[in-house]
Amino acid sequence: MDIRWVWESQNLAQRTLEHLRMFGIALALSVVIGVLLGLYLYRRPKLAPIAFNVLNILETVPTLALLVLLLPVLGLGEKPTIAASVIYSILPIARNTYTGLTSVERSYIEVAEAIGLSEREVLLKVRFPLALPLIAAGVRIAVVFTMGVVTLGGLIAAGGLGAPIQTGIHLYDRDIIIVTGLWVGALALILDGVAALIERYLRDRYGRR
Amino acid sequence: MVGVERVLGAFGEHLVLTYASLFLSIAVGIPLAILSLKSKRLASFIMGFANLVQAIPSFAVVAIVVPLLGIGFTPAVFAIFLRALLPIVKNTYVGLSEVDEAMIDAARGIGLTEWEIIRYVRFPHAYPAMFAGIKFAAVLANSIAILTAIIGSGGLGSLVFEGLASFNTDKILAGSIPAILMAVFIDISFSYLEKRVTPEGIGGG
Amino acid sequence: MVIEMLFRRIETVELRDVTKRYGDFTAVDHVNLEIIGGELLILIGPSGSGKTTLLRTINRLIEPDEGEVFINGRNIKEFDVVKLRRSIGYVIQQIGLFPHMTVKDNIGLLLKLEGWSEEEIDKRVKELLHLVALPEDFVTRYPHQLSGGQQQRVGLARALALNPPLLLMDEPFGALDPILRKQLQEEFLRIKEVLGRTIVFVTHDIEEAFKLGDRIAIMRDGRLVQVGYPDELVLNPADEFVAKLVNVDKKFKHLDTLKVKDLMVDVEKYIVEVQRKDELLQWMRDKNIEFAVIVEKGALKGVTDLKSLLKSQDLEEALMEPLVFSPGDSLASALAEMKRRNAFLGVVVEREKPVGILLANEVLLKLL
Repeated sequence: MDIRWVWESQNLAQRTLEHLRMFGIALALSVVIGVLLGLYLYRRPKLAPIAFNVLNILETVPTLALLVLLLPVLGLGEKPTIAASVIYSILPIARNTYTGLTSVERSYIEVAEAIGLSEREVLLKVRFPLALPLIAAGVRIAVVFTMGVVTLGGLIAAGGLGAPIQTGIHLYDRDIIIVTGLWVGALALILDGVAALIERYLRDRYGRR
Repeated sequence: MVGVERVLGAFGEHLVLTYASLFLSIAVGIPLAILSLKSKRLASFIMGFANLVQAIPSFAVVAIVVPLLGIGFTPAVFAIFLRALLPIVKNTYVGLSEVDEAMIDAARGIGLTEWEIIRYVRFPHAYPAMFAGIKFAAVLANSIAILTAIIGSGGLGSLVFEGLASFNTDKILAGSIPAILMAVFIDISFSYLEKRVTPEGIGGG
Repeated sequence: MVIEMLFRRIETVELRDVTKRYGDFTAVDHVNLEIIGGELLILIGPSGSGKTTLLRTINRLIEPDEGEVFINGRNIKEFDVVKLRRSIGYVIQQIGLFPHMTVKDNIGLLLKLEGWSEEEIDKRVKELLHLVALPEDFVTRYPHQLSGGQQQRVGLARALALNPPLLLMDEPFGALDPILRKQLQEEFLRIKEVLGRTIVFVTHDIEEAFKLGDRIAIMRDGRLVQVGYPDELVLNPADEFVAKLVNVDKKFKHLDTLKVKDLMVDVEKYIVEVQRKDELLQWMRDKNIEFAVIVEKGALKGVTDLKSLLKSQDLEEALMEPLVFSPGDSLASALAEMKRRNAFLGVVVEREKPVGILLANEVLLKLL
């Protein structure tokens, strides 16, 4: 097997950068939207069950079906790929943010109120930091989802590492498939590992035991 | 327009593909979880492997199956099986192993065999977790079964890929809408089943 | 259906030189003990004394590092472990019941595994419920719908299902509140007479030991300190530890100066004003208690417990007139009165209102 040939002919360095670019944009958007949605639902808890039910249903939609349904609206390429990634990733982040904020132990809140923190300060200085480990766990799930969707983006001309996999399958070229497939797998494991490290750091720092 | 018969045929293939893989995953996953109870080392190996594979994109898993098994229905079933197996093993094992030790001890004390303890004590406690795992696996299988059309599995995914290749929105819709309905159906029916099989006195009570 | 027991009756259970270590810690240290068929032997000692560990070597939940256990002269290692356990009833504190099974399934599980038919199981379960004084319609309930005392009765019924000649009981009444514990002890004494089987009973409550035990084995730091009939222990204690544990005299040293109010138990949670039986039943169920003090306009009307209530047509029939004391009464004379009347409790009343309960058992414990 000629790894070097595959790497160069399939332009894997370039593809990897494209891949990580989409991944980065999608994840950043998911984190911002997910955390904000979690905060909003914390303020409006009556809406939470409805919002999570809707997101739960979206979560079950087959990835490829969602991607192709976005085509008429967003065209081919990066845009629908990023949009689909965000749609799947909002749920774990928003749900964990919401759970993290609402499940802070009563005694911490009482102490904070007793020393005279305003409601806003309690949220930002007490609830939010204590929710960070759970939010990080949500982000880690989102990392896995986003990697999955971005890889599929190759099928709708978004580039990234999905593109050479598709090429490999169409050409029935085992070298391309194996090299690219394993590379995507390794990349996914590395990113998941990094997310796990961040999660563990936050749990050690802010975790309740 | 896409013919109704074509859609129905593709839907039928999709169902066979999804459920064949799902049943295979259940048939292998549950015994594997029981086996994991016997050995801590096997358990941590299986759990570690499960967590690893879950992080790998489905498309990569589907692709890697091609050099191993070629293309067609069977490789597709195998790829879906691989992905669906893990949530089932993981959840079943967690459910089986998280039974209160004192209760296992009581069961042993009144004279149940190890197998009877698994069957009458551990399993009823594992049902909720096990069903959550199966539900997740079913949703996953339904999703990947579209994708496997790229390696010649047939089914609704074929319509989607044909539609993509020829910019035919009708075909894309004819392939994706039934799959989405199927996903919602799986979610609702499994949630219902989960409530039905959860024995009274477990959780909540 | 006849169940195949490893032994039909117990001649002896013999522990020879039994030792169990956990790392550096010796939980049971060369214990020799012979249990005589038909007796109720109490294993008593402070927590960590090894009594539970020793008990569990008898049904092989724990395999000793050294020493052997013989039943009717046969080493229990010769028996199939599952058969051995099915020939020995096992009752433990709390959690012993399976939460996902109804009362019937809990009691009938072993019968089912032994291949009994549905009707035979039905019949046997009802028999057993009757024996432990629970109503038949409890069969469909789940453990979490029962009070602590009812759960414990179901646990006993389950242990008796296969009619084992030997029973092991590990602090079966340990988690119950004092009044209920007392009631269950009374009931257990009655059941014990009916059954007439060999029982090994672990407890840390010396009153319970004296009340239920034929012989008492005292353990400390994994060693057996002394075994004997209650009077032997009191008259000839092996050492200071035993003397302190069983010496009833010393406990009553200050008795002369004590008043009823000093040692009465709070009664608040048991007081209720109701007119009808069903009301009271519902109230007891909600509160998860099996005993009630009934008042009318605050004044004491009588006491009752769940068992009598279930047996009676109406509330009036179930009401019992308790011994009544006032807070200032001398404790010694109150106890003497209770002993004469064979009552395990008395109600303390001040200006007609119940203010406390005097429990013989509880008083003794507090004086220790």
